[in-house]
Amino acid sequence: MIKIWSMKKNEDAAAKKKPKTSAAQIRVQKDLTELDLPSTMKTNFPDPADLLNFTLTITPDEGMYKGGAFNFSFSINTNYPHDPPKVKCTQTIYHPNVDLEGNVCLNILREDWKPVLNLNSVMVGLQYLFLEPNPDDPLNKDAALEMTRSRDQFLNNVRATMRGGYFKSVQYDNVLAR
Amino acid sequence: MSSGSQAQPVEDATTALESVPDQKTRRYDRQLRLWASSGQAALESSHILVLNSSSTSTSILKNLVLPGIGAFTILDRTTTSPSDAGNNFFLEGLDSVGKPRAEEAVRLLLELNDGVKGNSIVEKDIQEVLASEGEKGTEWIKSFSLIIAHNLEKIALDRLADVLWADFESPPLFIVRSAGFLAEVSIQFHEHAIIESHIESSPSLRIDKPFPKLLQHSLSLDFDGMDVTDHGHIPYVYILVRVLEDWKKSHDGKPPKTTAEKKEFKEIISKMRKKADEENFEEAEAQAYRCWTETVVPSDVKSIFTPLSTPSPSHTKPFRILLRALEVYTTTVPPYTLPLSATLPDMKASTSQYVDLQTLYKERAVEERDAFRAVLDKVLQEQGENPSLIDDETVTNFVKHSHILRLLRGKKWGWLEESPDTLATLVQTSPKQLAIHLALSALASLQTKHALATAQSKSTKEQETEFQPKLEDLITEAKSLLPTGVEFEDDTDFENAIGEAARSPTADLPNTAALLGGIVAQEVIKMTTKQYVPIDGICTIDLVETWTGLL
Amino acid sequence: MASAPSTDWPGRYYHIDQVLEKPGPRTDPAFLAGDGVKDFLRNQAKILVIGAGGLGCEILANLALTGFKDIHVIDMDTIDISNLNRQFLFRPKDVGRPKATVAAEFIMKRVPGVTVTPYFGKIQDKDEDYYLQFNLVICGLDSIEARRWMNATLVNMVDPENPESLKPMIDGGTEGFKGQARVILPTFTSCYECSLDMLNKPTAFPICTIANTPRLPEHCIEWASVLEWPRVHGDKKMDTDDPEHISWLYKVASARAREFNIEGVTWSLTQGVVKNIIPAIASTNAIIAAACCNEAFKIATSSAAFLNNYFMLIGTEGVYSYTFEHEKRHDCPVCGGEALDLTVSPDSTVENLIDILIERQDIQIKKPSLSTPTKQLYFQAPPQLEEATRPNLEKKLSEFVPANGEITVTSTSLPFSLSLRILYS
Repeated sequence: MIKIWSMKKNEDAAAKKKPKTSAAQIRVQKDLTELDLPSTMKTNFPDPADLLNFTLTITPDEGMYKGGAFNFSFSINTNYPHDPPKVKCTQTIYHPNVDLEGNVCLNILREDWKPVLNLNSVMVGLQYLFLEPNPDDPLNKDAALEMTRSRDQFLNNVRATMRGGYFKSVQYDNVLAR
Repeated sequence: MSSGSQAQPVEDATTALESVPDQKTRRYDRQLRLWASSGQAALESSHILVLNSSSTSTSILKNLVLPGIGAFTILDRTTTSPSDAGNNFFLEGLDSVGKPRAEEAVRLLLELNDGVKGNSIVEKDIQEVLASEGEKGTEWIKSFSLIIAHNLEKIALDRLADVLWADFESPPLFIVRSAGFLAEVSIQFHEHAIIESHIESSPSLRIDKPFPKLLQHSLSLDFDGMDVTDHGHIPYVYILVRVLEDWKKSHDGKPPKTTAEKKEFKEIISKMRKKADEENFEEAEAQAYRCWTETVVPSDVKSIFTPLSTPSPSHTKPFRILLRALEVYTTTVPPYTLPLSATLPDMKASTSQYVDLQTLYKERAVEERDAFRAVLDKVLQEQGENPSLIDDETVTNFVKHSHILRLLRGKKWGWLEESPDTLATLVQTSPKQLAIHLALSALASLQTKHALATAQSKSTKEQETEFQPKLEDLITEAKSLLPTGVEFEDDTDFENAIGEAARSPTADLPNTAALLGGIVAQEVIKMTTKQYVPIDGICTIDLVETWTGLL
Repeated sequence: MASAPSTDWPGRYYHIDQVLEKPGPRTDPAFLAGDGVKDFLRNQAKILVIGAGGLGCEILANLALTGFKDIHVIDMDTIDISNLNRQFLFRPKDVGRPKATVAAEFIMKRVPGVTVTPYFGKIQDKDEDYYLQFNLVICGLDSIEARRWMNATLVNMVDPENPESLKPMIDGGTEGFKGQARVILPTFTSCYECSLDMLNKPTAFPICTIANTPRLPEHCIEWASVLEWPRVHGDKKMDTDDPEHISWLYKVASARAREFNIEGVTWSLTQGVVKNIIPAIASTNAIIAAACCNEAFKIATSSAAFLNNYFMLIGTEGVYSYTFEHEKRHDCPVCGGEALDLTVSPDSTVENLIDILIERQDIQIKKPSLSTPTKQLYFQAPPQLEEATRPNLEKKLSEFVPANGEITVTSTSLPFSLSLRILYS
């Protein structure tokens, strides 16, 4: 065998024993402990020992969705940050960029994800969807059409659906902040 | 991933649903994604001749039997030796020792794929075929679709190369040489035409020279009157055609030229946005260069336009005629460009906008293909050829790939040794690569001398001696291959190669053999399918530092 | 294996011995030509192959022929018919059987005297003690995740006190006519994680495009698999190896394509998109596997210089290759960053440690967050985790960390992370 050790005796960086914590784990620790969230966003860990599965609650303090509390589930796999976190809205809500199954249309969650992005960027991106819903590239086409057609009617629909109950034969969750 | 959209009616494409693919398609799935059924059919109709069953030769064959060539023949009179049994995966250890090597190899290779036929000829070798079978032998050799020679003895190799080169219709000859960690691969052929080169280059959208319907549609769009959603889904092609047309009106009919003008042009696009984040307008800005990059015939394609009078093999004749027609087309039919491609890249657009644009391109592409066909028919007529020589499917395929066509002209084996100027240049520009070639050439020469000497001494019943050239002899032999006065500036590269050759002159190392097996098989596949681009020159390989280089 | 096996018939290694009996011009002077190196290669060296697929089959055959006698192989897959165009140790009758087992059987049958020990399972099933028994590891994998795990494990195993803990990792990968091979000397050269940003990501399409403005056949297929499958089948998991499932996706995607006048949805494309199929051929695998095994052979025998450290091959236009030294990344989460031995009093609390980290001149970390491989010690944020870990501040460090135990520190003031080894005074 080649004698690697004697190859570069002066390479001191090599003489450091590395920790057993996985790269994904360290990266999630780094992302979470460096989160810089406004008061409108709050994370919740059902099991504080499990950093890979948690929820985010967004309570917009302005815009059309003001007064609501919107929950998203985050699920991070061991291939993070090569793979993006999987994010879904856990409530049925009326939003042009969130469909009734909870899929979210946010570029950095799919086609534009890169490992230099972090959990903070994703959360800020999600909040932006509630401040500036985008009807041009919708996931919920009906909501988007309504928003383009009449902003007032759309706002009424948002308000109505946020209280929960049936609207146009879809049952929405009550998402009003308590 | 590509849309791979052939011009076929939607109904045909989607009403008759395919079921789960058959066994053969499933077996070949991972390769059909590279060369499609046309490439597979070409492989399956090939019959390859291999001139021995060394570890390298069987490694090559393994990688050809697996993807399903039609047939192969091994010509080798060697009896399996203990050393053969030690380094060849297609021999069964001591059980194979003493048996004809080629028979053993064929039997074990055929286990890999029952769709392939293989046979061995063990009572003679290529030397005998060339020496004693005359015209009949030569014709037999030429009946194969290609020939592979690994470490073939120099006199026989030169003779074989001569015989094949003398006839334009000869199959390609693959010359593979190796010793220890060093190797090289080259192909002798007259001409090789490639339509589907798979070169990564997209055809022009001809935004700078829009066809009438494209121009008309772009001009008819009422950008201001559109709502935000529609405005955000106009394909960038329309935006660019429109902005360029407006620009030309105020600039003597000329596109932006200077950096300042180009910047101004992009600002015009930017200002057209109704919202800050309209992706289609961002795309239009990013693609704006298409407006001032004139659509012309790509130089790589122009460079292969050749007079039909130059001699060529019959298998490239249809390609040459197509190429001639393309030259005529691009010089006589406005706008003097390649026929339009129906392939449209994906872009931000609504479904209907995109599908409509795609239809515009497809319809126009069909019109231009038909115009090309008319030119082609005229060329065929001039050449006294029947129009049925080239079918419509070939024409469509040719037009579709007209921006990435390739025509390779090969060289005769030994071309480098016969070109002192090239050697003088290479000694400067590619010393490492040249050193490997010289080392392998020197080994081949000395080995032949050794064999002749052994043959003479054999008559006096002496034992056969192993070929173990001295370092000094190799150096002298290698240097004698260079023209007088031409020397390596720094001898290190030369000494490195010669030193390795002297260390392991007859070693067919399993790893080197396996690597050559892969490289040669890739080249065989490329030559046989006429897809992708084979090497054009001598590929030299150093497995000490692990690199390849071309001479 | 105590003595040379009798299967080594005279002349068996005629070819290999030419490079083992003499040095070449670029051979390290430390190379001991002759019997010593042959004995090491044939009777002592133990090598691990990860993956018994396209690369793995080739790697096993090459290693066996070059004279490695004690080979282990791990693979968690079973044989599929689409493997047979390149995985040459398998036959149609083997479909459904474990790759590792079949490959091992075949090599042992074909190359006398070689022992191949298969393990049908995951690399994650094995611990450090297992990996420590090998001299070298060769990876022929198609999964990024498995490579990252193997790489991190080998980097983490390096113990400065024990040279034997450093296991060279040779990694190969292919796609169509292209491929790469590299040598990783954990902690000495750049590691797999260092080069993660060189990888091409598979194309992902915007979900709104898939939902509303499909243009390509791929958009229709993604609609079927990403949106329609979960909507229709709920929690039932999609199995991309199940032809029934592919057929369903294909039907749904075709209907969608028809609705939008999009051409080009085929069974094969559907399968390709949902399985993210990468084209693969025997010849490219042969090239890359040979390059990997050649490096393993040179490293094990010192018979010639070895690759430093990355070889890239593109066979689509001629034979183009590029050999270069990929640089180690100092902020690499696996092999980069800082590592530090820290001696503290056995009575120190977690808070004391944090104070040391903040105050020590050579460290000076702002707002550090700390964890052991199994537990969070103290997190600065988010609030819930800060609150949950706050009680730990007063507790003794020794409750969480044994002597020589490790702590991972992250902070905004660090490029990535710092690992501490705790010693008690």
